[in-house]
Amino acid sequence: MPEYKAPLRDIRFVLEDLLDSESHYSKLEGRAEFDNDLREAIINEAAKLAENVLSPINQSGDEEGCHFEEGCVTTPAGFKEAFAEYAAGGWAGLAAAEELGGQNLPASAGIIVNELLGTANWAWNMYTGLTFGAVKCITEHGSDEQRTVYVKKMVEGTWTGTMCITEAHCGSDVGLARTKAEPQADGSYKITGAKHFITGGDHDMAENIVHLTLARVVGAPAGTKGISLFIVPKYLPDTDGNPGERNSVYAGSIEKKMGIKASATCVMNFDGAKGFMVGAENSGLEQMFTMMNEARLGTALQGLCAAQLAFQGSLAYAKDRLAMRSLTGPKNPDGPADPIIVHPDVRRMLLTQKALSEGFRAFLYEIAFDGDRSQGAASEEERKAAENRMALLTPIAKAFCTELGYESCNLGLQVFGGHGYIKEWGMEQIIRDTRISMVYEGTTGIQALDLIGRKVLGSGGELLKGYTKEIHKFCQSNESSEQFKVMVEALAACNKQWGELTMHLGGKAMENADEVGAGSVDYLMFAGYVAMAYTWLRMAVLAQQKLDAGSSEEAFYKAKLTTADFYFKRLLPRAQAHATAAMAGAASLMDLPADDFAF
Amino acid sequence: MPSYKAPLDDMRFLLHEVFAAEQLWQEVPAFEHVSMDLVDTVLDEGAKLNEQLIAPLNRPGDEEGVRLEADGAKTPASFPAAFKTLAENGWVGLGGNPEFGGQGMPKALTVLFEEMLNSAGCAFCLYSILTSGAAFAINAHASAELKQTYLPKMYSGEWAGAMALTEAHAGTDLGMIRTKAEPQADGRYKITGTKIFITGGDHDLTENIIHLVLAKLPDAPAGPKGISLFLVPKFLVNADGSLGARNDFSCGSLEEKMGIHGSTTCVMNYDGATGYLVGDVNKGLAAMFTMMNYERLSVGVSGIGLAQLSYQGAVEYAKDRLQSRAPGSAMQGAADPIIGHGDVRRMLMTQKALVEAGRAFGVYVGLLLDQTKADDAATAGRADKLVALLTPVAKAFLTDKGFETCVLGQQVYGGHGYIREHGMEQLVRDARITQIYEGTNGIQAMDLLGRKVLQSRGELLQLYLAEINDYLESISQNTHLLPFAEGLKFAANTLEQVTRAIFAGVANDAHLPGTAANDYLHLVGFTSFAYMWAKMAEQSVGKTDNLHDAKVKTGLFFVQRLLPQVSTLAMAITQGSKATMALDVEQF
Repeated sequence: MPEYKAPLRDIRFVLEDLLDSESHYSKLEGRAEFDNDLREAIINEAAKLAENVLSPINQSGDEEGCHFEEGCVTTPAGFKEAFAEYAAGGWAGLAAAEELGGQNLPASAGIIVNELLGTANWAWNMYTGLTFGAVKCITEHGSDEQRTVYVKKMVEGTWTGTMCITEAHCGSDVGLARTKAEPQADGSYKITGAKHFITGGDHDMAENIVHLTLARVVGAPAGTKGISLFIVPKYLPDTDGNPGERNSVYAGSIEKKMGIKASATCVMNFDGAKGFMVGAENSGLEQMFTMMNEARLGTALQGLCAAQLAFQGSLAYAKDRLAMRSLTGPKNPDGPADPIIVHPDVRRMLLTQKALSEGFRAFLYEIAFDGDRSQGAASEEERKAAENRMALLTPIAKAFCTELGYESCNLGLQVFGGHGYIKEWGMEQIIRDTRISMVYEGTTGIQALDLIGRKVLGSGGELLKGYTKEIHKFCQSNESSEQFKVMVEALAACNKQWGELTMHLGGKAMENADEVGAGSVDYLMFAGYVAMAYTWLRMAVLAQQKLDAGSSEEAFYKAKLTTADFYFKRLLPRAQAHATAAMAGAASLMDLPADDFAF
Repeated sequence: MPSYKAPLDDMRFLLHEVFAAEQLWQEVPAFEHVSMDLVDTVLDEGAKLNEQLIAPLNRPGDEEGVRLEADGAKTPASFPAAFKTLAENGWVGLGGNPEFGGQGMPKALTVLFEEMLNSAGCAFCLYSILTSGAAFAINAHASAELKQTYLPKMYSGEWAGAMALTEAHAGTDLGMIRTKAEPQADGRYKITGTKIFITGGDHDLTENIIHLVLAKLPDAPAGPKGISLFLVPKFLVNADGSLGARNDFSCGSLEEKMGIHGSTTCVMNYDGATGYLVGDVNKGLAAMFTMMNYERLSVGVSGIGLAQLSYQGAVEYAKDRLQSRAPGSAMQGAADPIIGHGDVRRMLMTQKALVEAGRAFGVYVGLLLDQTKADDAATAGRADKLVALLTPVAKAFLTDKGFETCVLGQQVYGGHGYIREHGMEQLVRDARITQIYEGTNGIQAMDLLGRKVLQSRGELLQLYLAEINDYLESISQNTHLLPFAEGLKFAANTLEQVTRAIFAGVANDAHLPGTAANDYLHLVGFTSFAYMWAKMAEQSVGKTDNLHDAKVKTGLFFVQRLLPQVSTLAMAITQGSKATMALDVEQF
């Protein structure tokens, strides 16, 4: 496994130069102060935890996997200790409210820290990610008592949380859920059913586990409107709030998976377990939706983490591995061959990874900042604008960053040649671990339907217009630049095309409902390439400004310019193939009768 | 793991209708005897064997894996008996030289059997394919005596073969190998060195394993010109053909890999092992090259084999899995089968369009290989050139698209695709290596653009484009084929223009070919698939039965939804090399 080194310089570039974090954080209301010094300190500490504690147990965790005996899950060696260190460091409460024991830092702080911890060890990080979701959900929708009893423990890192949504027969279509909740005389509910694919459903790292569970109250309406949300703790809290009686919710088995083997994926059996309703009856799905943007952004991050780690590994290898001579004459004349980084096709793979990982970082951090603003901006107007921007970009981020993150780690393996296929090097583990990111938290196909159906067409084009207008303004303000002329024109053309593509699909959707699904993923991928182009061009313009101002870090900023050039010339053209395919209409997809697919 | 059903209808459609293979074989003396009946028997029997005997071992073989014991490497428990059946029925020697007991079947037919074998179990398949490959090289280059001693036993599958090329520091760049061969007084050689990544280097399937080892004589020139090829048997063979002493080499360890867990990937230590020179001194690499076209096509087809199984699994699941309402739903049942959802169809249609075109292309290149054996020098010469051009495309494009197809199949399963039990993730893990071994796909791309296109001054490509243009001319009056003809014309024209641009640019930009190569190979691949789809559509338009009707619909999907990538590739290539080469090494 490549030794992980946190990309601190690039993180600083994105935060300070691109997103003007100082001004951003100083303007947020309702959050603890998060100045440059504190930010640096937190990022440096997170980097240490990631590099020194989590990275070393990444590969061993994959090899050992989770153990399941008599209904109990044991995590791989070192996981429990790492979690204790994490809890002691106060990391679980970074963004939680002060009255619940948290530090009340802006939510984006959690995203940044998550990049570092997640790159070092995604499987381990899963346990904390699910807990964040549970904290947020109970904080927003639970009663005061529930907040006091459950959230505080999760914030201090002694308890963890899960999300029990999926059942064997229903994944994307949660409305089909069958798990039932029977009201009891004491106001609690008796929960009965089986949930699948429950990450962290059982483990040995915390003294209690809080299962947030979707179930149907007896007599509830069919479909998505009859689903309620319940807290079902593994141990029922006693009157002091400590784990008491064992509740009848048990792991029935753990799945054998392609990757993230150190993350326990459980079948959870609820055998009349005691549950407590969160919020109002039959509004469980809405409550889940409120944390969906964050959860999806958190999963988008997995694409960044994978791309970053694979890039670090393949870059080191490409500088080290000697094979063949450069076509333009030996670059390592004293050695038996040149390092493979001199070969154009190896560079193609490295630059693709670099352009994507750095582009993802900037793109995702900015969405995280939107998230901050959607809650803490001074005016309602600003909050709404930020929320809209985040709503539009989140499905793009989730699907695009994971799809291309997967491509990136496949390129990382390819740079290693045959060695990449061997477990020892860890490059194949990154692929196996990352493959799930395109599936969970809503598959790529589901994100695409969310984007075009709910976000773009559902808002009558409003959400999209906000973003394309932003790009348009940026292009206008840079149209006089000689240096960036070609890129600005390319971005402006893509931006215009985005609107046309939307009009086209929207028009066709009115005639034939199949058109939306038939064009959706290509539409989303097109959007992703345009958003990435916008992000890269801004970074390039900024880098040039720094160079003009006489920055001492010439190599760093010049690399930004070169990588932006690579993105525009080599990757952005892919947007056109997606646009053409998205416009091709539903017939070519829907004409074949289901029985004629295979003979 | 999805249960495997060999796509026999499609295979027969290709051989009998699209390519009229029997007629082509009639013109090649070596294959005159291959009749339509014989072809159908081979396909039917091959399907039975793979569906019933091999496919059930695939998932358990992955879980059980291989292990190294004191007396050597062991395959999964069910493999030895299955291999014995495969061998006894003559499948290992299917394409072998009849003079030494091979079946003498043409490549266009053996690729289809290989595809089935890969679908049924690509880890298992490797033992057989490596044996055929080693036998091929021995047949082409070894002395009459070596051939007589080794080939009959290899064709019969009693002995297996292995290719020992790679060393820890030398994979792509074989010129750097260090394994040495010292001449002995008796004309034999003493081989010393360590090889890695040796597929089937040791196992318990056969009583002997014949290694073909690349090594250097003490005074050999440096680099690729100083490499010789040796036959190094695990057990030395006595004059009467019986097995003699154990040769001095052994398996040092087995690699733990992402996939193909049922295949042994060995570190082999040769400690002064006895070897026999194959072919001429210092001509080892050239000897390897003669079999490479066959092997590379086989690896390409393995991508299709894996993709086919993934597709079968995905279709079955998509018909069965109920989730959400599809547009225009009849509102029956709790939800609709996901095959009714547009985006699921996008994935299935992509799989289908790629797998069927890939199969057609494999057969097409296989037929060209068969034609290289024609008596007519012009036919053989022309086929040689097209094989040289298209082999790297077959290897790289079919494996890239095969992997993509397997990933899509896994995606159709949603979360269930990530669970080992269903087998869809195994196909992804197994397929991943096909993009690497037998020359990485980056190496294939350089071979195509550098050696085949540029070095021939465009001659090989012109030959291919001329064939496509002639074909377009021949269908120009068929209005039913208009979208296919337009798509093919667009792709072929784009390819021609891009090639011109590269020829024009390369004089001033030495890095242009390297930076363009990967995209260029894909451009040739898409053009070839458009060609295959036009040919398949030509035999299908106007016919209303399901198979032919589905061909037309799937071909239209390819032209409308996938072929547009041609423009993207052209755009990226024509941007030149600067964007890729400008960054200093330290700036990464």
